[in-house]
Amino acid sequence: FRYTRNLVDNGNGKFNLMILCWGEGHGSSIHDHTDSHCFMKILQGNLKETLFEWPEKKGNGEMTKKSERVLRENQCAYINDSIGLHRVENISHTESAVSLHLYSPPFNACNTFDQRTGHKHKVTMTFYSQFGERTVCVSMRRDAP
Amino acid sequence: LPAGLSQWFPALEVLDVSGTGLAEMGTELLSLPSLHTLLAKNNRLGGPGSLPKGLGQAPLARSLRVLNLSGNRFSEVPPALLRLRGLRSLSLGGNRLHSIPPDIQELQSLEFLYLGGNFITAIPPELAKLPSLRYLVLCDNKIQSIPPQLAQLHSLRSLSLHNNLLTYLPREILNLVHLEELSLRGNPLVVRFVRDLTYNPPSLQELAGRTVKARNIPYAPSDLPESLVRYLSLASNCPNPKCGGVYFDSCVRQIKFVDFCGKYRLPLMHYLCSPECSSPFSSASQSSTSQSESDSEDEASVAAHRMQKVLLG
Repeated sequence: FRYTRNLVDNGNGKFNLMILCWGEGHGSSIHDHTDSHCFMKILQGNLKETLFEWPEKKGNGEMTKKSERVLRENQCAYINDSIGLHRVENISHTESAVSLHLYSPPFNACNTFDQRTGHKHKVTMTFYSQFGERTVCVSMRRDAP
Repeated sequence: LPAGLSQWFPALEVLDVSGTGLAEMGTELLSLPSLHTLLAKNNRLGGPGSLPKGLGQAPLARSLRVLNLSGNRFSEVPPALLRLRGLRSLSLGGNRLHSIPPDIQELQSLEFLYLGGNFITAIPPELAKLPSLRYLVLCDNKIQSIPPQLAQLHSLRSLSLHNNLLTYLPREILNLVHLEELSLRGNPLVVRFVRDLTYNPPSLQELAGRTVKARNIPYAPSDLPESLVRYLSLASNCPNPKCGGVYFDSCVRQIKFVDFCGKYRLPLMHYLCSPECSSPFSSASQSSTSQSESDSEDEASVAAHRMQKVLLG
């Protein structure tokens, strides 16, 4: 009922390569990348990426949008924490989307941000499947971007 | 649709005519007895004749499970569609709908309903009469409020409300105990509420009605004019658990912010019978909490904790 993260390869602990499947209307929260490199390639459909500035330390207002763009099939994007934060969404109401993500070094926790206030909240990331096998949820923790 | 479709493929179960520029689907559909999935997205459907006449009597009415009409030009939900009593999954995403018909409740087998990307301004309470609905998508519309009855959707697992015009939510939303996902971003949810200081005192009829209900005064249709019997049946209970009173037309609107450990503050609308009634939920940031409010606070914080896990950022 939300987008799924499907691990394909963990590169001997050096990276995580995963495929994300986005249904119509599915989107991620605004999130950071825990000091890792993040590459993304669109395999099917389109995804909108909205970049945000990091909120002020004591900030308590709406987060600032830096830019937004729609990534088409086969286009690539890159982000890391020094560039900023982003939200990725499938804005189509008729087509699903599929993207390939490479994170190096791998990470399993990051921060999500409330767009209205800039408050951040640490989350643990879970996989819907790993190497083709469904990963059963152990806890009810809210999963990630 | 090609004529003779049902003669050539009488056992057809899945038909995908998406992206073919179709402006109408004719009677060829009516003689396909095994059809359970019909995908017709990204076409030019929406005018009269988009769906064939006699749809309600066709075998399709009971056999069709999945219908995808997203990316078309429907400005209203075609009434013929509501006769598809076996329908489990319906998508009308990316059309031009301005409303949802109350007769949507006829689709009693519906589990998945996608209405994102339309111009819908309000949700009919009848939508809550769908007992199997698990997944409801209403994102990217113009919805201004959620009817409290929506909390009766016991099977609801996922509710998508992002990018609408909601300023608050009904407090009943906390009753959706099976909800696993809720998206609310992109709504102008109020962050501050100024209590309306003007309070219209209740009418004599209302005061009398409140007393009849509060004191359990027995009455029968032979004792009162029919209009008053009906009036008494419309009493609403004050949500303040310490009150136990009722109200009819005169109530106080109040927004209480339910705090999720300082991360999110959701504005929830309450109706109270009078300004003196304290609300069942008090914000965690309020300093003094009286003994009488502590029970209802526990209730609120349990609900808030559950909702925190469910809220998508």
